[in-house]
Amino acid sequence: MSNEKRKDQERGIEESDYAFQLRNRGSRLLSWAEIPLGYFTHDNMAGTDPKWQKDAADQNFDYMFKLLIIGNSSVGKTSFLFRYADDSFTSAFVSTVGIDFKVKTVFRHDKRVKLQIWDTAGQERYRTITTAYYRGAMGFILMYDITNEESFNSVQDWVTQIKTYSWDNAQVILVGNKCDMEDERVISFERGKQLAEQLGVEFFETSAKENINVKAVFERLVDIICDKMSDSLDSDPTLVSGGAKGTRLTDAPQGPQAANCNC
Amino acid sequence: MNEEIDESDFYHQDFTTASEWEVFIARLEEIVHQWKVDDLKEEDATNLIIKQGLWNIKQEKLQFVDVEFTLFYYKNTSVQHKSVEDDDDTKKCKHPLENLHDFVMYSESHNNLECPLAEWYGLNEFITLNFSSPNGIHVESQIKLLLSSTQLAINNTNCTIPIFVQIRDKWQNCYLGVYEDEQIRTNFEMIHLRKGPQHCQYLTGLVDLFKTKIMSPVSLPPITVSVQLTFHLIEFGISTWKQDLHDIDRENFDLESICALPFGVTHDPVTNLILKTTWSHLPDHLIVDSENYSDFDPMQAPKWSCYVVMTDQSLCLLSESLSDVLNTVNNNSSVYDILGDFVSSADHNLDNPLDLLTEPKLPTFSTVLKRAARNSLPKSSKGVAPLSEEVLVPILYFLFPDADDENAFPYSSNKEKDNGDNMSSSHTPSMMETECKGFKTCKENSLPWRIAIMFVQTLGMLGGPKAAAHLWFEFVQEMRFRWEKSIPIPGLPSGYPDPRTCLLNQKLQMLNCCIERKRARESRETSTPNVENQTVDPNSSTDDEEFYDCSPDKPDEEDKKRARHSLWNQPVGRLGKFENLKLIKTGDPLYIPITQDCVPKTEDQLEEDTDVLLQLGSDAQGSELRAKMMSASLLSDMESFKAANPGSILEDFIRWYSPRDWIEESELDEWGQKKGYLSSRMLISDNAWIQMWESAKPVPANRQKRLFDDTREAEKVLHFLDSRTLSQISDMLFSIGSHAAICRLYEECEQVSSVLPTAFKSLQRIIKYVEKISRNGKICDRIGGNLIQQIAALELCISQAHSLLYKLNPSRGCEQNIDPFVEKLMNGDEIEIEGTSKSYIGGRLITMFSEAQKLANMIMTEHGGLVDHHPTGNITFPHPHQREFVMRVSAVRPATYSIKSPQFLRTILSKNEFRLVGAFSEDVVFF
Repeated sequence: MSNEKRKDQERGIEESDYAFQLRNRGSRLLSWAEIPLGYFTHDNMAGTDPKWQKDAADQNFDYMFKLLIIGNSSVGKTSFLFRYADDSFTSAFVSTVGIDFKVKTVFRHDKRVKLQIWDTAGQERYRTITTAYYRGAMGFILMYDITNEESFNSVQDWVTQIKTYSWDNAQVILVGNKCDMEDERVISFERGKQLAEQLGVEFFETSAKENINVKAVFERLVDIICDKMSDSLDSDPTLVSGGAKGTRLTDAPQGPQAANCNC
Repeated sequence: MNEEIDESDFYHQDFTTASEWEVFIARLEEIVHQWKVDDLKEEDATNLIIKQGLWNIKQEKLQFVDVEFTLFYYKNTSVQHKSVEDDDDTKKCKHPLENLHDFVMYSESHNNLECPLAEWYGLNEFITLNFSSPNGIHVESQIKLLLSSTQLAINNTNCTIPIFVQIRDKWQNCYLGVYEDEQIRTNFEMIHLRKGPQHCQYLTGLVDLFKTKIMSPVSLPPITVSVQLTFHLIEFGISTWKQDLHDIDRENFDLESICALPFGVTHDPVTNLILKTTWSHLPDHLIVDSENYSDFDPMQAPKWSCYVVMTDQSLCLLSESLSDVLNTVNNNSSVYDILGDFVSSADHNLDNPLDLLTEPKLPTFSTVLKRAARNSLPKSSKGVAPLSEEVLVPILYFLFPDADDENAFPYSSNKEKDNGDNMSSSHTPSMMETECKGFKTCKENSLPWRIAIMFVQTLGMLGGPKAAAHLWFEFVQEMRFRWEKSIPIPGLPSGYPDPRTCLLNQKLQMLNCCIERKRARESRETSTPNVENQTVDPNSSTDDEEFYDCSPDKPDEEDKKRARHSLWNQPVGRLGKFENLKLIKTGDPLYIPITQDCVPKTEDQLEEDTDVLLQLGSDAQGSELRAKMMSASLLSDMESFKAANPGSILEDFIRWYSPRDWIEESELDEWGQKKGYLSSRMLISDNAWIQMWESAKPVPANRQKRLFDDTREAEKVLHFLDSRTLSQISDMLFSIGSHAAICRLYEECEQVSSVLPTAFKSLQRIIKYVEKISRNGKICDRIGGNLIQQIAALELCISQAHSLLYKLNPSRGCEQNIDPFVEKLMNGDEIEIEGTSKSYIGGRLITMFSEAQKLANMIMTEHGGLVDHHPTGNITFPHPHQREFVMRVSAVRPATYSIKSPQFLRTILSKNEFRLVGAFSEDVVFF
C-alpha cells in the first residue's frame, strides 16, 4: 500500500514547463485559462526541440482548438462534421453513441491551427455524459434543423447548458442545418437570425448535403476564437506587472509622471 | 592657393592665453546663451510636476580646472505665462523676490524639487551651480571665486535670473547667490549651523538681526512677519491603531479567533502626525516672541494644516499568511514524511476490530470525532502531535459541525442557502458575488473553504508545515471514516462533481456521491429479502402499479398477461408509464425503466477519459471503438428497458430513447396508436444500436453490473487525498485561500470605502488576477508572489485608512467633513484644517497632543526631571519641532536716495538645525 503511494507521488509531481508539458502530451486540450504566458510569442516551439520532432507527424501545429457540435438528435451534426473533415456525405450516419471526434488542421495567418472537433449525441439521455466534455471547449457550434420546430425551440436550453458547463469565454455560433430542404422548412431564416441576435451569437444557415456554408462556419469560429484570445492576452497588464509593495493606490496603474521622474 | 591653405593652417592655433578662470566663465556664458535660445524655441527639457506647478529643469556639465560642476536651470512654467503678461502691462521686469510666498504645503504624492531654493525664496526661475565632487567647497577663496565668476557671467549675458552657487557639504543645502537687473542687485546669503546663538532663538532677536543686517539709512517701515510652528505627534497612546489580533492561546484555544483569515498590520501604519500652525503677514511691532513670552499660541493660530507620515514596513497579516502557503508549494515532502513516526504508530493503533461488530451500523455523530481524535493521538505516542488535542478537536468540530448537535458553526443547509439566494436576488446581487463568479474554487464557507482557512492558519500560526500536515492527515482520516461508516460529508453542494469548482471540491463531491450510493445500496440490501420472496411467488404481483392498473372488470386480459409473463419473464424495474404508448407487438403499456444513474466524474478523470478517446485516433475504426466504449450506458438502458417491458422490440425502445428516429404515419395500429417506422439511420444494417439491442438481456438496473463502482471510486478519492504532498495540498488550497482573502479584503474595503474610493478598483484588479490563478491549475512563485504583493499593498492602504479614521473619528460619528479630509491625508498631502482648533478634527488633534503631553510629563516627573514650561504656557502642545519665521520689508539701500528694494529673511529653527536664508537688495544706480 505504502509502496504504491510512493509511486503515485513520484508520478504526480511533474513540475515541468507548462507549455512543454502541453506539447509533450500532445493530446492535452488547450483552453484559454490554460494558455501559459508568452505562449504566443514563441510559436515555433515544434521543431526547435529535437524531442518534439520525433512525433512531429501528429504534433505539427501552432495552436489547438477544441470545438463541440451540439444540438438535438438528428439535426445533422455528424453529417456536418463529416462534410467538413472528410468532405463526404452519406444520407444516413449511425446515430452517435455518446461522443466522437474528428481532427482537422487549418491555416490561419500562417499558423497551423489544429481543430479537435467533438461530435455529440443529441439524445436527452446523453446530456450528462456530453456536458462533461464542455469543459475546455473554446467554441461551440449549436445546431438546429430548419425542418424541425422542436430542435429550434431547444436552442435556448442548449445555450443554458453551455453557460452552465463551459467557461465564460467559449464562443458560440448558431447554425440552422438542412437548408437544402427548402420544401420542408419550418424555421425561416429571419427567425434564426433574430434568435442569434438575441443570444448575441453569429448565425449561419448550412447544408451538409449540398456543402453550403460548412467551411464558412468553422472558419468564422476559428477567427472569433483567435480574436478573443489575442484580446484577452493584450488587455491584461496585471499579468505582466503587479503593484509594488507600499505604493499608494491610484486610479490608474502607475502613470507616466512616475516614469519621467529622473531628476 | 597652396599658400593660402598653409596660412590658415598655420594661424589655426590660438595664441591668446585665456586663463582657466576665463574659460570657465566663457563656458558658463555659453550655456546660459544656449538656454536662452532653447527657451525661445520652447524646447522641452525634463518636466517635473510638483505642487507649485510644472517645473522645467535643464542641466549641463562644465569644469573649472579639474573640478566638475553641473549647472542647473529651474523654471516654473506654469507661472511663466502670467509674468509675461505682467511684463507687457508694466513694461518692467518684476523683482523675483516680490511675492508673498511664505510656506509650501507638504505633499508626498508630488515630487519635490531637489533644490529647496524655490521653497525658501519663492523663486520661479533660477540657476544653480552645483559641484559634483563629494567633498564640497569650504575654502572661502574658492567660494568667492565661484561667486564672482557667476556674477561676471550673468553680467555679460544680461541674464536677469538669480544664480546660485552651492557651497559647503552637499547635505547642508547651502547656497550663495546673486541677482542683478538694471536697478537692483540682490545678494542671497545663507547661514547653516547646528545650533544658533541664544539671541537668535526667538522672533524678537531675529527681527533685530534682520534690521541690523539691512542697515537702512532711514527708519524702516514695519516688517511683515509670517510664522509657522510645526508639531510632531509620534506617541499616539490610546489612539494607536491596533488590529484586533487574537493571541493564539494553546491552553484556552478559541476557535473563533482563527475561523476567519487574519487581516491588517502588526504595527500602526501611521508613524507620525505633523501639525503646522501658521500666522501670515503680521507687522513686527504688534507681536512679541521672546524667551519669556510668546504671542504665538498654536491654539489661536489662524491657519492649521496637517499631514501624516506612513510606514510601509509593517507586516501585513493577510498577505503574509498567503505567502506562507505559497512558500509551502515548494515543499515536496509527503504528509507522512513530515509527520514521521507519529503517524505510523497511529496506523497500528486502530480500534479494536471487534468494535465493528459491536458498534451500531450508523454510529451517533458525536462518536465520530472522538474516534478520529483517538485514532490520531496514539496512547503511546513516540512523538508529540504537532497539533495538540485542545487545538485539533475544535478545528475538527469546525470542519465537521454535524458531529456535534450544538455546534456554533453549522454549514448553511442547501435549502437555507437557496432561500438566501432568492432573497438576495431580489436585491441587486452584491458586487462580490458577481465579481467572483468566475472563480474556480468552491462555495463560500463550504468544507473545502474551511479546510483552506484552517490550513492557512495552521501553517501561519499554529505550528507551520508540520501542523498543516497533521491537519490534512486528520482530515483524510475523517474522510476515510465517513466513507467506511457511510456518513455523508457536510458542507458540500449536493450532486455530481461540479467542473466549475476546484479539484478538491470535486473530489469531495465525488466521495459524497459514493457515500450516497453506498447508503442506497445498503438500505436496499436490508430490504431485499422481502422483495425476493415476493418475486418467487408468481401469483402475487410485485408491482403495485401494475396491479392497480389491471382493472378487475377485465379478468381475461390479466389472465392472458399472466400466461405470457412466465416466471422468468416478469416485468421488473419499472419507473412509470411513458405517455400512452403501447408496445408494438403486445399492446402492453410502454414503461420507462428504472435506469442506472449516470457516472459522476471529476475533471481529472474526464481528462483521462478524453485522452483515451483521443488515442484511438480519428479514423473510422477509432470511431467504432469509441462507440463501443461509450455504449455501456446504452446497453444498460436497453437491458433495463427490456426488463421493464417484456416483449418489447427495438422500435419501442427508440420511441422512448430517441423519438426523432421514429417516424409516425397517420394510420393507426391495432392498439389505437399511430403506426410508424424507424428512421433510415436506425435501419442501417448491423448498426451499433441494432447490435446492442440484440445482445441486451432483460436485466433490471439493480441487478446489472454497476456502471459506477462506488467502492472503487471512493478508494480512488481517498488515495488521492492521502497521497498528496504538502506542495500539492498548498497548490490546491491556494486559490481557495486567495478567494477567502478577497472576501476578507472586500469586507474591509466596505468599511473604509468612504475614504478610500480607489480601493474597490484595486480589489477588482486583484479579483481578475485570482480568477486567472484559480483556473490556471498550478501556481508558480512569480504569479503568486505578484498577487501577494498586490494584496499587501491594498491591505496596507486599508489599514492606514482604518488607523486615520480611528484617530480622527474614534466614535465613528457621521461628521461630514472627516471622510474627505482623511481621503486627502491618505494621499500624503498636507491639508488645511478648516476651523482650526475649533473644528472637530482640530479638537481630536488637541486631545491626542495633550494626551501625548500628559504621558511625556508623567515619564519626566517619574524620572525626577522638571516639567519644561513652554512660554506659551499651555501643556497641550509639546515644544515645536520646528519654527519658521519669514520676514520681509522694502528698504532704501544703500543710500537715502536709493530706490526701495526688497529685503528678505527666513529663519528655520529646529532642535538640530539653525538656518538663516536671507536676500538683501541694494540700488546699483543711485548709491
